[in-house]
Amino acid sequence: MKPVQVKLVLLGEAAVGKSSLVLRFVNDEFQENKEPTIGAAFLTQKCRLEDKVIKFEIWDTAGQERFHSLAPMYYRNAQAAVIVYDVTKASSLVKAKSWVKELQRQANPNIVIALTGNKADLVSSGRSKSSSEDEDNQEGEENQDEEDEDHGVTREVPTEEASAYAQEAGLLFYETSAKNGQGVAEVFTEIAKKIPLEHVLSARGRGASSSSRVDLQTGGGLGGQQHKGVCAC
Amino acid sequence: MALHQRPPHHVFILPTPCDQHNPLFDTVQSTENFVLQRTKASKNQFLNSFLGTIQNVFDTKQAPFRILFRRQVHAQALMIAEAESQKNIDQAWTWVQDNFIVGLNVLDDAQEKEEWVLTKIRSLVTRADKGTDDITSDEKVRSASRAFRQTFNVLPSERLVSYYSCSYHGKMMNQGWMYISENYLCFYSFMLGMETKIFLELKDVGDLQKEKSKRGVFADAIRVVMKDSQEYFFSNLFHRDETYDMLVQLTTLSMERLLRNTALEHAPGMSNGDDSDSVKDVFSVDVDSLEGGESPYLPAPTTRPLRLGLEEQKRDSQFQQRFSLPASEHLMEESSAVLVHGEKSEMYHGRLYMSESFLCFICTEAEPCMLALPLYTIRRVERMNSRTAMYALNILTWHQMRVVLRLNGPRTQCEKFCTTLKTNLKLQVRAMRSLKPFLATCFSEALLADRPDVSEKDSGLGWIFEFPGDPKKLKNKSKTKLWLQYFKDNGRNLTMTKVTTFPKLIRVGLPNKLRGEIWEACSGSLYLRSMHPGEYAKLLKDNEGKSSLSLEEIEKDLNRSLPEYEAYQANQGINRLRNVLSAYAWKNPDLGYCQAMNIVTSAILIYQSEEQAFWTLNVLCDRLLPGYYSTSMYGALLDQTILEHLLEKTMPILSKHLKKVDVQLSVACLPWFLSLFINSMPLVYAFRVLDCFFFEGPKVLFQISLAILKVNGDELLATRDDGAFMDVLKKYFGTLDDSAFPDSNNPKARALTKFNELMLVAYKEFESVTPELVAELRRNHQLKVVHNISSFTKRSQLRNIAPGKFSKDEMGVIYDRFYSALFYGRSSQRGNGKQGEARALDATTFASFLGNIARWAQVEDDQMDHDDNNTGPGSPNHRRRGSTSTTSTAREHRRVVGKHFISRLFERFDDNGTGLLSLQEVTNGLGDIIHGDLMTRMQLFFDMHDLNKDGTLSRDEILGMSESLLFIFRFDDGDSYLGAVSNFIRNAFEFAEKVDAVKKAEEDAVTEAKEDSDEDKKEDAAEKESSEKEGGSSAPTDQAASTAAEEPEIQMSLPSFRMVVLADETLERFFDSGFANSFKLLEPMDRQKGLFAREVFDSLLSEGRKLAGSIAGGIQNRGNNHKVNNHKVNQKHLPQASASTTSLSETKAPEADESKSSANADLVESRSAGEGKRASDKEDEEETEEAAEDDGEEDDGEEDDEEEEDGGDDLLDEVEKFLTEFDQKGGGKQDLGLTSATEPESP
Repeated sequence: MKPVQVKLVLLGEAAVGKSSLVLRFVNDEFQENKEPTIGAAFLTQKCRLEDKVIKFEIWDTAGQERFHSLAPMYYRNAQAAVIVYDVTKASSLVKAKSWVKELQRQANPNIVIALTGNKADLVSSGRSKSSSEDEDNQEGEENQDEEDEDHGVTREVPTEEASAYAQEAGLLFYETSAKNGQGVAEVFTEIAKKIPLEHVLSARGRGASSSSRVDLQTGGGLGGQQHKGVCAC
Repeated sequence: MALHQRPPHHVFILPTPCDQHNPLFDTVQSTENFVLQRTKASKNQFLNSFLGTIQNVFDTKQAPFRILFRRQVHAQALMIAEAESQKNIDQAWTWVQDNFIVGLNVLDDAQEKEEWVLTKIRSLVTRADKGTDDITSDEKVRSASRAFRQTFNVLPSERLVSYYSCSYHGKMMNQGWMYISENYLCFYSFMLGMETKIFLELKDVGDLQKEKSKRGVFADAIRVVMKDSQEYFFSNLFHRDETYDMLVQLTTLSMERLLRNTALEHAPGMSNGDDSDSVKDVFSVDVDSLEGGESPYLPAPTTRPLRLGLEEQKRDSQFQQRFSLPASEHLMEESSAVLVHGEKSEMYHGRLYMSESFLCFICTEAEPCMLALPLYTIRRVERMNSRTAMYALNILTWHQMRVVLRLNGPRTQCEKFCTTLKTNLKLQVRAMRSLKPFLATCFSEALLADRPDVSEKDSGLGWIFEFPGDPKKLKNKSKTKLWLQYFKDNGRNLTMTKVTTFPKLIRVGLPNKLRGEIWEACSGSLYLRSMHPGEYAKLLKDNEGKSSLSLEEIEKDLNRSLPEYEAYQANQGINRLRNVLSAYAWKNPDLGYCQAMNIVTSAILIYQSEEQAFWTLNVLCDRLLPGYYSTSMYGALLDQTILEHLLEKTMPILSKHLKKVDVQLSVACLPWFLSLFINSMPLVYAFRVLDCFFFEGPKVLFQISLAILKVNGDELLATRDDGAFMDVLKKYFGTLDDSAFPDSNNPKARALTKFNELMLVAYKEFESVTPELVAELRRNHQLKVVHNISSFTKRSQLRNIAPGKFSKDEMGVIYDRFYSALFYGRSSQRGNGKQGEARALDATTFASFLGNIARWAQVEDDQMDHDDNNTGPGSPNHRRRGSTSTTSTAREHRRVVGKHFISRLFERFDDNGTGLLSLQEVTNGLGDIIHGDLMTRMQLFFDMHDLNKDGTLSRDEILGMSESLLFIFRFDDGDSYLGAVSNFIRNAFEFAEKVDAVKKAEEDAVTEAKEDSDEDKKEDAAEKESSEKEGGSSAPTDQAASTAAEEPEIQMSLPSFRMVVLADETLERFFDSGFANSFKLLEPMDRQKGLFAREVFDSLLSEGRKLAGSIAGGIQNRGNNHKVNNHKVNQKHLPQASASTTSLSETKAPEADESKSSANADLVESRSAGEGKRASDKEDEEETEEAAEDDGEEDDGEEDDEEEEDGGDDLLDEVEKFLTEFDQKGGGKQDLGLTSATEPESP
């Protein structure tokens, strides 16, 4: 089966783990101190679905605010976007939302967007929403601490809040951990399933058949289950 | 007239010699010492227009009025004052008479008299006009600047840079003058009665192109393309290239300001704690330095023309660039010279330059030889006897090197050079003292002295953690030896002469331990470090413990910078990196920290100590890669555009292919430039590139990039998308170590790596990419790049603003006006806005913002009217105004009222009380006004004037409100507002509750009034009100009629306020639509409007005089009859005016009846506001025509206007005076029309 190329762009605030997420997906590895991305990094990975093979061309962009003006260069013609925030940093969700807005206005109108809350491993002890709300007042002071420690960090973005937003804005939503691999493959698999194939083909000008519309239901088991096996390198 | 304490502004000029008997001037008044003259006016329209044309073409345009000082020792007189209006010159004349005559009588000697007058005038001018063109030493600039500012109605502080004769190609060719000022590019021509004015903002210039004029023969034209794609073509420029360069320089300056202004993040490196200090305004710094560093406290009699300053600045920056000198160096002397140097006494012909602390030589012949010698390294200078040249200097450097310089040129020039050298040397004594400790930090010294090494503090991380690469393979030892020899021959560190072998030694790669120091010597950071000892440590110490956005960002990346290098896995490396990056962020808070700086810095820290790296980073960000790491990254984007351009020129096939498959070059190349190949190539090779880069500048980056593309050309041509494109390049970087010719029989060829091949291609095939070419391309492309960035920023910022009910276009206008106000509000820019956030308006910039969208908010215009009352040179009917001083105080008063109103509006908009308005706050605030309804707007006005926030308006607050209304209405056409406002006061006092009044009576009154206002708004309501109140409670009547000193305090609640407003049709319309419509978002606010608006205003006053007369009661009502025709026009669109005032003027002003009834008869109230507006628009046009028409033509009608104007002025003054008195005395007692209606006899 000839792989279908899909251009995917990663966006999000600095140091939320965009590159690590890609690295986990592409090489299934994790680097503690990943160099910041300058401009953008480019990687590819194939994703095998039941009825098609999708080759992701991944543009991993720089997160710092001043690189923002470069982003259009990378997200133009993108068919998919992964917008990443850090579950331990409320401000990163704000930035994520503004990216969603920008993409919805400026990017390819059929773009599939996934919202991803990364660093879920840091809060895996499972603090509930209510407790995190209590801590909202202390965000400021706690920010400093969490840089130093890798565990016992407070969750600042409750799953429910982000999920509700994603639903409202029509985005896929996952919480992931690039460190332990949680949810990473699902993000990409679900995107692969949701990509409307004929748009891919027409957008890319690769006049292949446009008959096979992706059945969004066939992928089965959304959510919880791991899909590691589905994506082959 | 009483002694004028303050002389009038902008009338006196620096004394300029001129001919007293100029045929164009008539003498109006003259005394023993002074003459007042005005231009000859003629009834002949043609002659006037002809004179105007002559004046324009030859730029002899002179102000119509002037005062001369008669010199007794000289035939020529001195012009001491110049004005565009009779009023101003009269003031000046009076001032001169009052202040000079007595003094002059005391003095006997003619010379003394002249001295005395001149000194006085000079000090007057220099004191009043600090930093404006009025005190430039160039007399031509002074007068041209005045003509320019008056023609285009720009602020007096705007400085003219230059002006050129040229033609503008519009519908036809217009010969005229191009004026270039700090912020504007203007064109003015006046040909036989046809006036052409073009007014362009430099910040909106999108492109400048040199062109050939229409027949394509003469290279004498410039095309200016604005960012909205509007094009302007100017030709016949005699100094085309000079004009072009000037425009480029100025647009660059405004561009930099624009970028700073619109940046999404503002000064991210500024400390979170303090908001204001440390941030300096880029532009004002520039201007300050243009003034030649004169301290503001020293008496500065004259300012240099801005143009000279700009030229110097340009020359200096070229000089600094060429020798890699600090930005504090200015070119002082220059001479052609011969340098004799070295063991073999080689001779180099070239040019010698001198700045404050450097003596620089560059060879102009093929043989490269360059020397930039800090004066503090010179031990001794001797003058030698030489046969070949008059002047030969024998210089002994700190390192005991001998350099002989033979100066060529005329004797005087050489002497001057030597004198300057002597002076400069003397000033270096202190710097000399710190030389010794400084040299101890240089590895070259240790190497030559055969000392073991420099201390750990002064060395790079490589000393401890080893250098990347295999030293053997890098031939480290032999390279070090070569350098040792070079140092012996040509000097070292600060005193090193760069001769032929220098570039060769650089290109083979630098030895590890010397690398850091030679980078410093090449980039010029060595000079910075030696001239600022201790500054680095101080920066860190002073900012210890502070936090900033940049610091947070740095912290995130510390662990992510060259993580594979051992030092950065330990605290030692991390700490150094943190120190250097944060010190830079403190030094340059506008830039702060940009990702990629961590990578570059971590790399150079391997070879350089902290302090060395800090200064190198300075040179990198400020000079080598300008704008690369700024918040907009415009420099990086600009260089990408240039790279694309170069690719197109050098490899057209590849360039075409990339376009065809839609691959953007910068996708791959931007990271190369930003991180100087450090994370693209293997480290050893990246450092080789850095070696060349520090020596030869950014052109190396282009050469290497182009070479990479060239070497991989075939494979790149086979790619179909950007993914494949990236893959090819990524693979290539991995093979740089491989042999370039693995199959060659020649072992030498086999030994060549792909990197060697790359360097070869870069230097051989792309030799044409010179620093000059790069500089030129940067100049040509920068405007486009910046405008792309600004429009991107605009889009993304607007996306994050909740627009309320504003359309997209309207939001665009609000955005533009918002940033335009910031752009021109230079003085208030400093420290504005919290760090890391977009910028915001403060009270001053808000006022100018408002002035750009609402006519009434142009407070400063009033002042302009006042200062330069624009009456053309042709109008002969200037009458002295009796009440000049009253008028100006009244205007001053109105200005104060206006300012208060605007500042209250500012507070109202400022939701969070920060004292700054964000774009969102402005949008919300304007939305409330424009898209709110009658009720919200009334509430807004009520709240704004309820100063003590007690929910009611007191007497003072009501008066304040009425003053605000008068202020807002002042440009309205028609006179209805005068009546409306007086009505307002009357009704307000009537309906307001007395503090301890009986509730019931008021409630009755309120209900009554409401019912009434529904059917018949005016008279009935008012009458019934007063009678009702009279019956119910005697308080209001008492209040109005009483002459008692004590007035009961009154309160007006919001409901009563609403009622009062609704009771008056003008006010109701104002709150219903008028106020909202006064904000013009989509219709352009013409700048020139100010010129004729004044006339509209004046004629409006004249028309309203009769009405005002009835209000002001006792004021003499003269000139009633000769304005009948005017009445016809006005009554049509101002029905309410007379209607609303009926109630007050009925009894007192019977003579007004006639006009009133006629107005009522044919118009009634039903006329829609739209119609009225149309009518007024039409009149506006007429007014415009009149204003634009040549000044010469005068007819009786206009003469009438003149008189009328005065009368109207007086009346308005009268109203205002009344208000003031009313205010003071508690109101209600004046025997004026205003109160008459409440008097008992009216029913």
